[in-house]
Formats: sequence, C-alpha cells, structure tokens
Amino acid sequence: MGMVMDMNDILDCKLLMVDDEPELRQMVKEILRKEGFMKVISAADCHQARELFASESPDGVILDVSLPDGDGFSLMREFRAGSAVPVLFLSARDEDEDRLLGLGLGADDYITKPFLPRELTLRLRAVLNRAYFPVVLKQKEKPVFSLGEIQVDLNSGLVYSNKGQFTLTAKEFALLEKLYENRGNIVTGDSLCQAAWGDDLYGYENTLMVHIRRLREKIEPEPSSPRHLLTVRGLGYKLTGADRK
Amino acid sequence: MKSMMKILFRYVLSAAGIALILLIFNFAVLVAWIIQESAIEQHDYSTGQLANSLIESHGVYTLSESAASEIEKQYQWAMLLDDTGRVIWSKNLPPDVPLKYTASDVASFTRWYLNDYPVYVWRHSDGLFVLGRAKGSTWKHNMEMRHEFMDKIFVGVPAVLILNAVAAILLALLFGMRLFRSLKPLAKGIEEMAEKQPVELSTRGLLGDIAVGINKTSVRLMKQEAALNQRDNARTTWIAGVSHDIRTPLSLVMGYASQLEDDPELPPAKREQAGIIRRQSQRIKTLVSDLNLASKLEYNMQPLRLNPVILAELLRQVAAEFLNDGLDNCYSIEVIIGKDAQNAVITGDQELLRRAVANLLANSIRHNPKGCQIKMTMEKGRGICSLSVTDSGAGFPRAILENLNNAQYSAGLQNHGLGLTIVRQTIKAHGGSTEFHNLSSGGCEVIICLPLSAADTRA
Repeated sequence: MGMVMDMNDILDCKLLMVDDEPELRQMVKEILRKEGFMKVISAADCHQARELFASESPDGVILDVSLPDGDGFSLMREFRAGSAVPVLFLSARDEDEDRLLGLGLGADDYITKPFLPRELTLRLRAVLNRAYFPVVLKQKEKPVFSLGEIQVDLNSGLVYSNKGQFTLTAKEFALLEKLYENRGNIVTGDSLCQAAWGDDLYGYENTLMVHIRRLREKIEPEPSSPRHLLTVRGLGYKLTGADRK
Repeated sequence: MKSMMKILFRYVLSAAGIALILLIFNFAVLVAWIIQESAIEQHDYSTGQLANSLIESHGVYTLSESAASEIEKQYQWAMLLDDTGRVIWSKNLPPDVPLKYTASDVASFTRWYLNDYPVYVWRHSDGLFVLGRAKGSTWKHNMEMRHEFMDKIFVGVPAVLILNAVAAILLALLFGMRLFRSLKPLAKGIEEMAEKQPVELSTRGLLGDIAVGINKTSVRLMKQEAALNQRDNARTTWIAGVSHDIRTPLSLVMGYASQLEDDPELPPAKREQAGIIRRQSQRIKTLVSDLNLASKLEYNMQPLRLNPVILAELLRQVAAEFLNDGLDNCYSIEVIIGKDAQNAVITGDQELLRRAVANLLANSIRHNPKGCQIKMTMEKGRGICSLSVTDSGAGFPRAILENLNNAQYSAGLQNHGLGLTIVRQTIKAHGGSTEFHNLSSGGCEVIICLPLSAADTRA
C-alpha cells in the first residue's frame, strides 16, 4: 500500500461513510471532524458508494449493513476484491451480529446502533491503526512506570528499588505487563494464566500464586502486606498506584 | 413397537390359556359325569344283590319284597335258568322270550341283548340269573383296551394336554402375527404423529377405517403446527423489525445527547440533562435488544454458538467486569467456586451465558439502590453443575416470583424483569433449569443447574 508512506497520522485517512439516513451521516461526519478526521465523504446507497470508492479510493469505510439497494456485506466483498481497505460495520440488527461473528466475513470490526460517539471513534482508530501502523505499534517502546518508590522498566525487564536492582523472569514479566495494561482494574486469574502460560487457570492456581509472591518480593516494599499488587479474593489480582513515566 | 410386541405376547398367552382351560374343563366334566353315572348304578341294587335275594325253599323260589319292587322299577323282567338251559323261575317274562336256551344262546346274550332286550346276568347257586330291561332302553357296548395302553394312560393324558397347549399357542401366534402385521403401520403412524411428522397410511385392509382417522388427524395437526409456527415467526420478525427501526433514530438521540454532554460551552446543568438523555437512550437500547433476544429465545430462533465453556472462568470474568466498571462501594460481589467445580466445562454459547450471569448481577444491583452483598456459588454434581446467585437485598416481589417460576407464563414478555426472563430462557436453551427464591434472611436466590459437557474429561 503506497499510501501508507504518505500518511503520518491516522487522522490523514480519507474515510467513506455509507448510510441511507442523511441525519445519521451528518452526525457521524461531525463526530469524526471533531475527532480530527478532516477528509470524510459520504454515500447514501451502494451505487453512490461504488462510484465514490472508485473515484476517491478512501483509506477506510464505515458501512451500514442494510442499504436501500443492497446489503453492506456484498458491498464490502466488492471493495475487498481489489483492495485491502479496512471496513467498520454499523449494524442495526442483532441478527447481523450473528453473521458478523459467525461467517468470518473479514470485517475489521462492527458497532451496533445506537452507539456513543466515543465508541465509534475508539473502534475506528483501532481499525485504522491495525491496518496502517501495525509495525510502528509493535516497535513502540514498552512502558516505564513507578510503583511508589519502585521503578519498573518493561523494556529491559528490570525493577529498581532501594533494595537494589532485580531482573524479572519471563513469567513475572508477562504477569506484570498484563497487570500494568489493566492497571487499576481486576485481572482474573484466568487472564493472567492465558498471558503467562497460554492456558486455562485450572492446574495453575498454585503456580500462579508462587509467581505472584516472587513478583511481590521484587516490586513491593513489604511483600507480606502488598500495597500495589493486590489480591482480589476469588477473582484475581489488581495493580494499583502505577504511574507512567 | 415395544408395546405392540407386548400386546401380541399377551394375546398369544391368553388365547392359548383359553384353549387349555376349555380342554381341562371338558375333560373334568366328562370324568365327573362318568363317576356320577357309575355312582347311580352302584347306589341301586346290583344284579348280584338281586340274584342273591332269590331264595329257594322246598322247590319254590321266592324274591324278597324289596328286590321285587326294584325289579319292577329298574328292570322289566327276570328269570332263572338252570344248568341245562331251562327257565325254572321267572317274573314278568315277556312272551317273545324263549324258555329254553342252548349254551351258545347263553354265550351270545350274556354281554349283549336277548331278543333286543338289554340283559344282565349273574351266577346263582341254582344256575344263571337273568335280568331284562325294556327294549331300546339301554345301549350296551363292550369296551376293550390293550393292556399297554392302560399302563400308559397316566403318561398319555398329560402328553396330549401339552400337545394341545403347544398347538393352541402356535395357532394363536399365527393369528396374532397377522393382527400384529396389520396393526404395526398404525402404531408407527401414531408414533410419527407424536413426532410431528406427516403421516400417510394405506387405508386398505381390516383396519382401514382407523388408518383414515389417523391420516386425517395427522393432516390437521400439521396444519395447526404450521399455523403456530407462522404466528411465532411473524411475532419474532415483527419484534426484530421494530427494534431495527428504533435503533437508527435512537443513534441520533444518543449521539447528539452525548455530544451535548461533553460540550464545554454548555452550563453544567444543561450538560447533566443531556447526560440523562444519553443514559436513558442507553437503557432503551438495552431494552430493545433484550426484547429482541427474549422473543427469539422464546420461539427457538436464536442460533446458539455452542462451544466448551469453563463456567468458573466466565463467572470470575463477569464479576471482574462489574467491579472494574466502577461499581459503587455499597455493593460487593463474591465468587465462590467449589474445588472440583473449577474445571467444570459445559457446552454453551459463551456470549449468551455471560449475558445471563450479567443480567442476574445487574438485577440485584438495580433493585437494591442502597447496596447489597452479592454472592455467586458454584458446585459440581453428577453430570451437572449448579450455580447459586444470592443477594442480601429486598428480594423479588411476590407476583414476579410466581411468574418467574411458572414456565407457562413464559410467553408473556413482561416489561418487568425481562432480564430475568432472558436468564431463564437462556438456561432452558442450554438444557438446564432455573429456580427463583426469596431467602428467609432477606434477599433473593437464583439457582441455575446446567448439564456438564460430555467432553468434561478433565473431571
């Protein structure tokens, strides 16, 4: 995709919005403009969408499933025949959800109407990022954060505290990274096991506890009364007080 | 078909039984009659007694009075022959009876007839005593058996009975099989009818009328089934259509309300009002989608994406989502998983089950605005796992509780408690059961039983 080279930001993407409801098109345009997407074009039906897709070659498509002269699924198939354009579906029926999930149509994501503006922009950004900046995302630096007096660098996997410098083991690293990604929220034991061992919790409960205990010895000033890596009984663990540097 | 075999078996047994009972009865009557007859004979004076009552004194024969009246009553006449064959005494002797007999004459009448008179003889001290009956009064037959036969009679009679029984059973089986063969298609037709399949039986033969009746009933049932399906379909499609039509305008309401809510140029009071519109729109969204799901579950139109689901993981995940979603501190959610229930796997639709569990939590939270303690307990039993969700809140109102536990009211998609209706329908679609209770200590309990997956191999 040559256009990737010209694009510095996903906000430079040219977007095509297809929906038969003019007021909804107008609202989505406003939402996108407010978010910073300046190049938004819109079509009311399949026919118009085909023409605009051919003449404007947009970088992303927001597509309603039911259109007056056809359905969004077949329209996407047409677009996809000659390009890998990311498509975000807007659907007004629960039944569409079944098709979107079940048939593996290759849609990048979908939103069911009605939706919140924030929901739309978050999903759209994610879809566009995945399509145009995947390499950049992966090369992005891992976070460095502090837990009170303790510094954690996930790039080197090192923990600095007044007790000294510790290296995180692979499992400790995977657990801490998962907890940090969801900092402030409970992460279930199941998710932690998936992150560290790629398996279900069953059979790993004790192993998980052992690794959490070792992790606490490195990141907690008082491992026996943890302040940052908290146990949520029956559910999992929670990382609190993490400040990104 | 099993019941048909049973009917045939009973039929054969009873037919053979009836035949045997008749045989034994007849045999018994015959024996009884013979015994009775001989008893009568014995009761009266025997020929010997009569002969002995004829006493000679000084060349004159006299018969005792009782013997004389007996001869009058039972016989017609009597005579006494001396050894040379002459009649030396007689009583009521008919004129066509000769007075002199040769040895061959005597030999020929002894067992049979004398001039067609049935006669009985007895040895008298002075010769041969002969008693005669009226002509044609008695049929005399001399019975003779080979000795071997009489020896075997005690083996033979039961053998004949057994042979008869076998023959009766075989005949009954033969006729029974014919009946069975003609009943079989009827029974099959009724079975198929019960399984809602169209039935078209041949109407020929003995049971043609019944077949016609079954065919008619089947046609009527199929019509009713089709009409019912069509109505259910129409209702579900209609609800799906309405919910679709609501979603687009609701998108605009929700979208603009949300934008106003976030607009820094508006005074906080106005933004708060926009927030209320946004939140209520979200509620309408949930209601519409619940209504749609409930109607599809009710009429079995919701496709289930069945996969192995680790229920314990699902419970932890839902609980964590509620807690992470900024749940007020006045609520607490506790998840207690039995030791052997940790790995319980069921076959189910992960998303629908997640929604069902979330509905239970949401219900407890919504109906207890002052807070409550929610506890989810999961245990594993034989082939099932049970999940109990309790709260320490106000409990269910009585009317709703009755509706929830009464499956026949399921068709009524009450605007109240749609979330719980979805819980019950979802569990039912997974082959499980749901019970709703109020706890005596306050609060409510929902007990869900789900069948474990056949592939729950890690058990």
